[in-house]
Amino acid sequence: MSSSYSNYTNSPCAACKFLRRKCTSDCVFAPYFPPEEPKKFANVHRIFGASNVSKILQEVEPHQREDAVNSLAYEAEARLRDPVYGCVGAISVLQRQVLGLQRELEETNADIMRYASCLGGETTSVYGARRG
Amino acid sequence: MSQIKTIHNPIGPLEKFLDLLLLSLIIFMTLKGGTSGACAACKYQRRRCAADCPLAQYFPAEQPKLFQNVHRLFGVRSIVKILENLDEAQKPEAMKSIIFQSYVRDRNPIHGCLGITQQLQYMICLAEEELKAVNSQLQIYRNNGPYHQNAHNQMIHEIGEKQEYVTSQLNLGMGLTVNNNQNNITPFFSPLPVFETQPQQPQMSYTYSSSEINNNGYSPPVYTDSCKDILTTKNNNMDASLAWGQNRFPYHHDNGFNNQNEHCSEMKSNNGVVAIQSQLVNLQMVSNKHDEEGDVEYDEIHQFLEIIDDKQSFPDTKVAYASSSGESLKERIAENGESELRSAATCFSLTSVN
Repeated sequence: MSSSYSNYTNSPCAACKFLRRKCTSDCVFAPYFPPEEPKKFANVHRIFGASNVSKILQEVEPHQREDAVNSLAYEAEARLRDPVYGCVGAISVLQRQVLGLQRELEETNADIMRYASCLGGETTSVYGARRG
Repeated sequence: MSQIKTIHNPIGPLEKFLDLLLLSLIIFMTLKGGTSGACAACKYQRRRCAADCPLAQYFPAEQPKLFQNVHRLFGVRSIVKILENLDEAQKPEAMKSIIFQSYVRDRNPIHGCLGITQQLQYMICLAEEELKAVNSQLQIYRNNGPYHQNAHNQMIHEIGEKQEYVTSQLNLGMGLTVNNNQNNITPFFSPLPVFETQPQQPQMSYTYSSSEINNNGYSPPVYTDSCKDILTTKNNNMDASLAWGQNRFPYHHDNGFNNQNEHCSEMKSNNGVVAIQSQLVNLQMVSNKHDEEGDVEYDEIHQFLEIIDDKQSFPDTKVAYASSSGESLKERIAENGESELRSAATCFSLTSVN
């Protein structure tokens, strides 16, 4: 309906389209939910709810809101794909990877130290011989 | 009349005591939310906690902040909707992850769990780079059988040329500064792969500036016991531990984080030799220092993981939200980096004289 297009410069944002309401010039969602990405808001609304998202956006600085929205969108999509673990599953996997790499580094460093200690003994003897 | 008074007087103190006891019982029961002991969810919503309250087992009354975080992020309706579609066995795991996610969002309202994910990705990237460098060094030692003395001298010579790059990248690996990143923007990455059952579904990709990650303010959160259970492998439920990223885990390292790793390689290509120098300098240091200081470069990772595994109970006040060490990781990184630089310089000057 033409009455819904009250935003003179742009079409209504994805949030206002989804919520079927007027997209005013001071719409808090408009900068972060463009009409070309309807699924972004749909996911966020489904998991967190529009009012929660609005409250979160109002609690952060304007220059940080885009990051906040993108992280919420990521978490919402993760939760939709995996209702049990959501994005926390990814954290768990990454943490295990970090632990594994750390262990591997420790082992490799221990190997190098073993080689170096052998060389250190030989180096000393060589230098001692030269000085002698 | 006076006799009546006399008769009643011995009962007076007893009555008072009983009245007092009854009053304290009433107060106690009121605090507990009546005879049923309302859960934190029902207390927050100021309603009677029914015997079959679906949230009671997940939100004990002693930890109201848990529910507040969840309510602020998800809302009751959303949680109930999520739980409705799950099996009984999956519900506790789902609630744990929801509580954890909400807690992280409370600590970091801007990035939430995505911030942690990116930090871990960065740590992995750095660790892989360092491992590559160290492995190549080890290979040199192994390959130069009879010529290992020359290889050792060559490496010491290289240390001398690049003395200024002595700090291990892993030591800086919390990723809080991305100074080499010219654009100061985190790389474009797809957080989720294409879902297997829906091959046509496009990936959703989000970019955002790393302005907050680069700030000094972020310190890793203190996790509760329940949050710790999520992140450790101490979960007794084998299905759950498998689900944590194996069979049911939708994120594949190859798909989801490729761009991040590529960017990391670009970032570190110029400093590829840095990790090598750091390892060799550490070797020089080992002979002069205690064993503890040889492990200093891994302190940051240990601290981060220790915080994840922290056994502290969930704090109810903001004061308790401070990191367990009481200082930001970045300050610790800077301190460690400086002390290593000084020690390395000292060691080098000694060896170069010889």
